[in-house]
Amino acid sequence: MDNVILLLIVGIPIIGSCILPYVGRMSAGLRNILALGFVSASLAGSLMLVPDVLAGKIPSITFSFPLGCNFILCADRLAVFMAIVSSSVGAVVIVYSFGYISHYRHQDEYYFMVVLFLGAMMGIIFSGNLIFLYVFWEITALASWRLIGFYREPRDVLRADKAFLVTVFGAFVMLLGFLMLYNQTGSFDLAAIKASLKTNPLPDMAVFLILIGILSKSATLPFHTWLPDAGIAPSPVTALLHAAVLVKIGVYVFARLFLVTFTVSGIWHTVVPWVAAISALVSAGAALVDTDMKRIIAYSTVSQIGFIFLGLSVGCPVGAAGALLFILMHGLAKGGLFLCAGIVEHNTGTKNITRLGGLIGTMPVTAVSFLFCAFSVMGIPPFGGFFSKYLVLAGAVEKGQMLVAFTFLAGAVLTILYLFRLFNMVFLGEAKGAPAREGSPVMVLSVTLLAALSLVSGIYINYPAHFAQAIVKQMSGM
Amino acid sequence: MGNYIPLLITVPCIAALLILSIPGRVRFVREAIAVLAVTVNLIVTLILFRGNATFSMPWAGFGFEFILRMYHFSGFIVLATAGFGFLVTIYSTVFMNGKKYLGQFYAYLLLSVGATNGAVLADNLALMLFFWEGLLLFVFGMIAIGGKNAFKTATKSFIIVGISDLCMLAGIALAGYLCGTLKISAISLPVAGLSGVAFVLLVIGAISKAGSMPFHSWIPDAAIDAPLPFMAILPASLEKLLGIYFLARITLDMFKAIEGTWASMLLMIIGVITILLAVMMALIQKDYKKLLSYHAISQVGYMILGIGTMVPAGIIGGLFHMINHALYKSCLFLTGGSVERQAGTTDLTKLGGLLRKMPVTFTCFFIAAASISGVPPFNGFFSKELVYDGALERGFIFYAGALLGSFLTAASFLKLGHAAYLGTLREEHKGVKEAPLPMLVPMIAIASVCVFFGLWNSFPLRHFIQPILPAESGAPSLPIATGAPLSTGLVVMTLIALAAALLNHFYGYKKTGSGVKASDHIHYAPALRGIYDKAEQGILDPFNIGMHWAAFVSRVGWLCDRAIDWLYNVLIVQASLLIASGIRRLHNGSYKTYILWSLAGLVFVIYFLLRTV
Repeated sequence: MDNVILLLIVGIPIIGSCILPYVGRMSAGLRNILALGFVSASLAGSLMLVPDVLAGKIPSITFSFPLGCNFILCADRLAVFMAIVSSSVGAVVIVYSFGYISHYRHQDEYYFMVVLFLGAMMGIIFSGNLIFLYVFWEITALASWRLIGFYREPRDVLRADKAFLVTVFGAFVMLLGFLMLYNQTGSFDLAAIKASLKTNPLPDMAVFLILIGILSKSATLPFHTWLPDAGIAPSPVTALLHAAVLVKIGVYVFARLFLVTFTVSGIWHTVVPWVAAISALVSAGAALVDTDMKRIIAYSTVSQIGFIFLGLSVGCPVGAAGALLFILMHGLAKGGLFLCAGIVEHNTGTKNITRLGGLIGTMPVTAVSFLFCAFSVMGIPPFGGFFSKYLVLAGAVEKGQMLVAFTFLAGAVLTILYLFRLFNMVFLGEAKGAPAREGSPVMVLSVTLLAALSLVSGIYINYPAHFAQAIVKQMSGM
Repeated sequence: MGNYIPLLITVPCIAALLILSIPGRVRFVREAIAVLAVTVNLIVTLILFRGNATFSMPWAGFGFEFILRMYHFSGFIVLATAGFGFLVTIYSTVFMNGKKYLGQFYAYLLLSVGATNGAVLADNLALMLFFWEGLLLFVFGMIAIGGKNAFKTATKSFIIVGISDLCMLAGIALAGYLCGTLKISAISLPVAGLSGVAFVLLVIGAISKAGSMPFHSWIPDAAIDAPLPFMAILPASLEKLLGIYFLARITLDMFKAIEGTWASMLLMIIGVITILLAVMMALIQKDYKKLLSYHAISQVGYMILGIGTMVPAGIIGGLFHMINHALYKSCLFLTGGSVERQAGTTDLTKLGGLLRKMPVTFTCFFIAAASISGVPPFNGFFSKELVYDGALERGFIFYAGALLGSFLTAASFLKLGHAAYLGTLREEHKGVKEAPLPMLVPMIAIASVCVFFGLWNSFPLRHFIQPILPAESGAPSLPIATGAPLSTGLVVMTLIALAAALLNHFYGYKKTGSGVKASDHIHYAPALRGIYDKAEQGILDPFNIGMHWAAFVSRVGWLCDRAIDWLYNVLIVQASLLIASGIRRLHNGSYKTYILWSLAGLVFVIYFLLRTV
């Protein structure tokens, strides 16, 4: 039963996405409902797996192919957690899109790509084989390429190309790393490689190559600049790509390969935190200078991804659990920020914060939702971000990485500064230009939902925290 | 009994949520809920505060445990919190009447009380941080509802306190790691090496919550922008109680800080600097509330100095000063509020002669001002003497600084009282009436406690303060009659300082002929004038200096980012174009070139084959 569910989680959105354009020719409404339905099916399937994985089972399904390219789907706790986070934020984004995208052209392609993207994401999450991981990885790159260039202006297309080229370059380098592993062990199956390596760490060269792919996908210094540039995409897309899903792919694969499945030599527990620290600080600085609303939030994502990498890479359970919670909290809150920014952009026609102001008077719900999400990103209790930030930093401190921890502390200070600068310039002060209306009901509903979830996830922290604890237990037990 | 402890957190929080859900048109209901909630809170506290009890329930794991512990120290702070919360809420029902954002005001007030209770009762550092940092939101909200441009001050306070809370977060993580537990009552660390770093980080969190320098500069701004009861409840009382409570926990329980260590020296230096700089600023203020807010900073210095001495007399003095300060400072702010409400302004240059119109307010003001200036027999006198005693034991310079602070405090309150209540009554204030009863009662109640804690100071000292000290440390010998270790020499010095303040005031008054200008001879003294000018312009504000640094760092980050982007947008593109054009040149369509290329390739292939064979 679990195996079928697993196949459906990945299969429904990928195959379903292909029929969306045809349905769209008949009825736009049906297409929208179906798109939401496909993503919700993934969410529902992932939720159904929760009891079993918490009981310690690891459902998996295998189709054999030659040359070590077996198609394996395998659901451990980490994968189920990640699938729930991505598909739930994805579902909210699709609801929001009903309002946001409704008067643009190419909607058929839009829903096709979004659902395909989420399906490929599920594939990456559950894949137990490096080659299929790579294939799904590239499907997400293709989908995001089309989505970033959605408006088809020359500048948009150029930015989309940039994002595609950087991430695909990274992916090629990562593929080289996979081939190295294949040479050494004769298989692409994670389990087979693990068996062959026994307890030896991965070869450093392979780690380095794979890491380049991961960093470029997760937009970490020095491969991050495509992410702010991709802010020209429609806001729901940026929320999906930048906040919740795309940038988490790299983080997830890092956890999957370097934490759960294999071990890496000690040097990476120092190198990766430092790369993440510099990335967090530099991009937080850039966020404090930039004047484009969505670019600021995108830089903020780059900065926060640094925190996640820190937690995953310091090499202690507390940090890893913090990073997992961070993925959840950041997905909710940052998704909310992008969607709020989308409402503002949609109704005022500008993203330049120097030309905005005083919007709290006319769009109070958006403003308060924005503030809630911002508090969560800053890590202020009782919002969820507090716990993740604390645990990540505690992990760094526990491993004696004091200097790294203080660099991140500086990054956290800048986080408070740039989010307040953004909020004050957009929502407070003197109103500039014509008064803008509040967003459409579905859009406002989506942002309030994400803001409320940010708060609720902090107040009822014991549920996500216990799940994170269970994941970490499984990680160290394997 | 322990099972009732969470009520102290849940009752105010649930009441706050209820208030927020009631629409603005419904009158009196929100006030009623607020008063009911603080009353219930007070009653529960009165029942619980004497006992020793703990409450625990499972929470997030990873060292996050939900443990609340009621014992004599936390019970004392919770009792004080409940008392102030009750009185200020009663006061607000009249003061805030008709103001905007009433629901939010009461909600934040109640949430602040709940969060303070939570932070004080928490026996787990992470749980404490949860409530402690959560307080930040309510401070932000309280200031932000103060007016159209109050959000700037709100942001400033959020940033300052947020940064110090982050320091505390790091300190807690470090202390938890070094000790292997986050349970406060189980932590015991030396002050050296890494745990010294943890100590400093935790102290930063504690003293900045109390409003010490250099984390003070939002308080005077908030005094202008925020609704007045906010000043009386948060910066004046709850945050002081919380900050000094935790400072005492750090130095007495968690870290074995003893006299003579650098930790003690550090605290004493911060204390004396805070006393002097803040009181110097208070002296020149021309606004009732702003003057008080600088004293709210200055007085923290005495508490930090007292605890920093690490000798029993000083610690007892510091803690006694904490509760005394919360009393007289909230009372002073409340008198400021009644002046603001009845006379319509707090600008000292526009006030005067209110004594005849508002005698009760003046009496309360007089008692509280005498307390803060250290006039015997009010409570402030005794706590200050204890602090002096401790400071003198550790070094004359600290004592001298503290005494000078006392002189300036007295001088500035002479100026304030003179300018607001004495002198000639202005034409527009002829119709001013005494404040209504719900505002007077809290002031009178607090002022009487000031008198009570002064005349019968052995009561609070014996029942609340002394049990806090570890039993083995040996409390100072207290004369039975008064409770305070009165060293005659110190009392004489204090009286001389007070007399000097009085003379100074008369000198200034004679010179300028007006009460509000009585400190001008110090303000415009040749050596001080330039510094005062800079301070008034905000150049010396640590917040502004820090913001310049942040701007610098972010500029550097931005340049790095642009440089990396240049690599992608220009360098890689240009390099690709260059290579492409080079290759294109090889494909020039000439038959001869292609033949040559083919031959070269053939030679290479043959060579390669021969080598491998």
